[in-house]
Amino acid sequence: MNDNSPASGSLTTQKPHLGVREHEGAKQPLTEKVSVKDVCFFYGESKALKNITLPIYERKVTALIGPSGCGKSTLLRIFNRMYDLYPKQRAEGEILFDGGNVLDPKQDLNLLRARIGMVFQKPTPFPMSIYDNIAFGIRLYERLPKSEMDDRVESALKRAALWDEVKGKLGTSGLGLSGGQQQRLCIARTIAVRPEVVLLDEPTSALDPIATAKVEELIYQLKNDYTIVIVTHNMQQAARVADYTAFMYLGELIEFGETRQVFTKPTKSRTEDYITGRFG
Amino acid sequence: MNSTAQVANSIAQSEISPSMLRRHGIWDALLRNATRTAAITVLLLLGGVILSLVQGSIPAFKAFGFGFLTTETWNPVTEKFGALAPIYGTLVTSFIAMLIGIPVSLGVAIFITELCPLWLRRPISTAIELLAGIPSIIYGIWGLFVLSPFLQAHVQPLIIGTFAGVPVLSSLFAGPPYGIGIFTAGIILSIMVLPYITSVTRDVFETVPAVLKESAYGLGCTTWEVVSKVVLPYTRAGVIGGIMLGLGRALGETMAVTFVIGNAHKIAASILAPGTTISANIANEFTEAEGDLYTSSLVAQGLILFGITFIVLAAARLMLLRLEMRSGSKV
Amino acid sequence: MNAAIYNRRRAVNGVIMVLAWFAAASGIFVLALILGTLLYKGLGGVSWAVFSQNTPPPGSAGGLLNAIYGSVMMTLIGTALGTPIGILAGTYMAEYGRGNKLTMVVRFINDILLSAPSIVIGLFVYEMLVVTMGHFSAWAGGVALGLLVLPVVVRTTEDMLLLVPDSMREASSALGSPRWVVIMQVAYRAARAGMLTGVLLAIARITGETAPLLFTALNNQFMSTNMNAPMANLPVVIFQFALSPYADWQKLAWTGALLITVTVLILNVGARALSTRTSKS
Repeated sequence: MNDNSPASGSLTTQKPHLGVREHEGAKQPLTEKVSVKDVCFFYGESKALKNITLPIYERKVTALIGPSGCGKSTLLRIFNRMYDLYPKQRAEGEILFDGGNVLDPKQDLNLLRARIGMVFQKPTPFPMSIYDNIAFGIRLYERLPKSEMDDRVESALKRAALWDEVKGKLGTSGLGLSGGQQQRLCIARTIAVRPEVVLLDEPTSALDPIATAKVEELIYQLKNDYTIVIVTHNMQQAARVADYTAFMYLGELIEFGETRQVFTKPTKSRTEDYITGRFG
Repeated sequence: MNSTAQVANSIAQSEISPSMLRRHGIWDALLRNATRTAAITVLLLLGGVILSLVQGSIPAFKAFGFGFLTTETWNPVTEKFGALAPIYGTLVTSFIAMLIGIPVSLGVAIFITELCPLWLRRPISTAIELLAGIPSIIYGIWGLFVLSPFLQAHVQPLIIGTFAGVPVLSSLFAGPPYGIGIFTAGIILSIMVLPYITSVTRDVFETVPAVLKESAYGLGCTTWEVVSKVVLPYTRAGVIGGIMLGLGRALGETMAVTFVIGNAHKIAASILAPGTTISANIANEFTEAEGDLYTSSLVAQGLILFGITFIVLAAARLMLLRLEMRSGSKV
Repeated sequence: MNAAIYNRRRAVNGVIMVLAWFAAASGIFVLALILGTLLYKGLGGVSWAVFSQNTPPPGSAGGLLNAIYGSVMMTLIGTALGTPIGILAGTYMAEYGRGNKLTMVVRFINDILLSAPSIVIGLFVYEMLVVTMGHFSAWAGGVALGLLVLPVVVRTTEDMLLLVPDSMREASSALGSPRWVVIMQVAYRAARAGMLTGVLLAIARITGETAPLLFTALNNQFMSTNMNAPMANLPVVIFQFALSPYADWQKLAWTGALLITVTVLILNVGARALSTRTSKS
């Protein structure tokens, strides 16, 4: 099997991958946490995604890049069936996750979303206290004594590198935090539920450079425990944080591979054009 | 493979409390059905109102037929009832209200959107909207004790004197100056509809794109020309919707009118004379009405009133909806 | 360029602008006049007796205690009935049935109920409750007021929930929230102030409502706490006393009118302050 750079066409033949891949620092065997198989997506009549096939490796960061409107956010919102909130949007194909198909109509969406968390472009703290923001998701499915809940909240905030900034004011509204803090609060809220996969939808596009750096650092830390998929319009960011990169264009997956390879030796001319700034 | 992540998963899944899952399922079904039921209740409510009014008015329509609408007689002793006088009063008071209320409301709306200094905008809007908040019984008591005596002493003699020799107008404004009557009721109503028409008009005026107004000003148009040639044509449907909304209010207004209308079951040539309206008639006589036919004749008037206001209000909503869709699709 | 035409246009504009000024000024003037009259005629009657004594027989002094009690009770019943149903219906329209046929129809019907003559609602409740129970009652009055609260709350609930950004709902869903949690713990919380504004406006609306009470709650000269019997209430007492020939009664009517207006204005201003505070944050 071709080890580097499976392009979109050849991906359909890929089996659940257990083969060992050598790449910077990764000594562990690779597991496919999520497998996207031949997925199409429709907004009403118009087809927004065309036969996407893509592996998402466990405890790696996979970046989805491409020009605006290429479908990268759309693809991300299929992983947790976010599109289901809206009528007239539908997906076809298969997304295998832990042996089940995410797109199965019988799938319990709430449990699915508890296991595949998502952080959005703009910070979306709920209009409640910092503590309640974090506890919100935990309370959905678990009954915990107060002390244990406190521990969970604290550890989530610590993991999101926010604890030191908010530990004295857990009772104050989450809306009072700065943009960067709000976004880390949202990340903390997401990981407090202990999901297996974390989806990040342009998580730093509304943040200033310093806050962005903090969130990127956080992503780097989080991949030790979580499988991460990140949509970004910022190629430097993809290069900095991602192990794997998928380049999309006009609803199609043009190229997928290890980040270093995609950025230094792209196999498709379109990828190269985009990476080198010739369009998009 | 025995990665720590997998162990973590199994822990995470075992932590999901089955009782919580059940609870979510129950609440989800409960809320969905409760909200749907409540929404349908609103529909049933309207159906119930219509049904009960129709049922209540059957005896009257059986006894008097179509003539109920065209007869002026209202005699509880002989049990002869006709709704013409209240229908006439309802229409004429509302007409007067519109005649005064529309230009004044448009004036206020123009003032707020075009002339008013910015710092004054909010206080004036608020004051006008507070007018809408004042309960109608307050307008009634004020109309009876303040407005009517004033009109009787100062305005009505003047009107009667002015039109004394003029052929048609002299009978329309024939004396004596009672103070209370159709005319006074119309004036009170014009004050009451003012805030409704003004606030809708102001809102739709504000939907006019600034570029449109600026380009008219750029051609050297005066403020009035901008308003009459650009703003009003652009917002016509909305303004008419607002006017209809005000008309709906005027037609159904009860307490304010009851105080000042005079409660006379006759159609006088002069609008200064006392009269009655449907709602005032019901308010005054319903609790004292004896016998099924009397009560039913009052309920039948309620049905007529509801019919008229329903048509007016539905037309108003459709107008506003059309404007909303247009501006919605444009943005 | 014709100077005569230009001057004419300017003159027309000038006249109309003066009229617009005049219209706005007269609106403010009427408001001031009404409030001034109420203060002038009503303030003198405000005393402890108004709140501690019941409505008197003609020709003697008294207060409005029984009427105030009745108004408060029926307003409470009306609010307690209309608010939950209104919130639920508005929730359906904004959350579950957004844009579907039922929602469109309910919105249209609700808007008509919102402006429908309140006396017609009174007739309806009379036919439904008074006729079937065989007597007037405070319950019937409360139900009539509830039917007036309902459309106001439906409207504001829907409007306020539609203002909650979908990103908030998505964020909640993304954590695995079932729909009811998204609605009740996130959307309601975000729209809380606006929804409360709607309830306040609805209470303001029914506080002064008279027509639907005339033949549902009727009136009662005496203090009554029996919800199953006719009950005094401020608006109907004002109506009756103002039209009476007795000076004492008329004075009480003005005092009652002042009380109602102050209550309504406080509710209105409070609601307004609440909604501006939220729109800023």
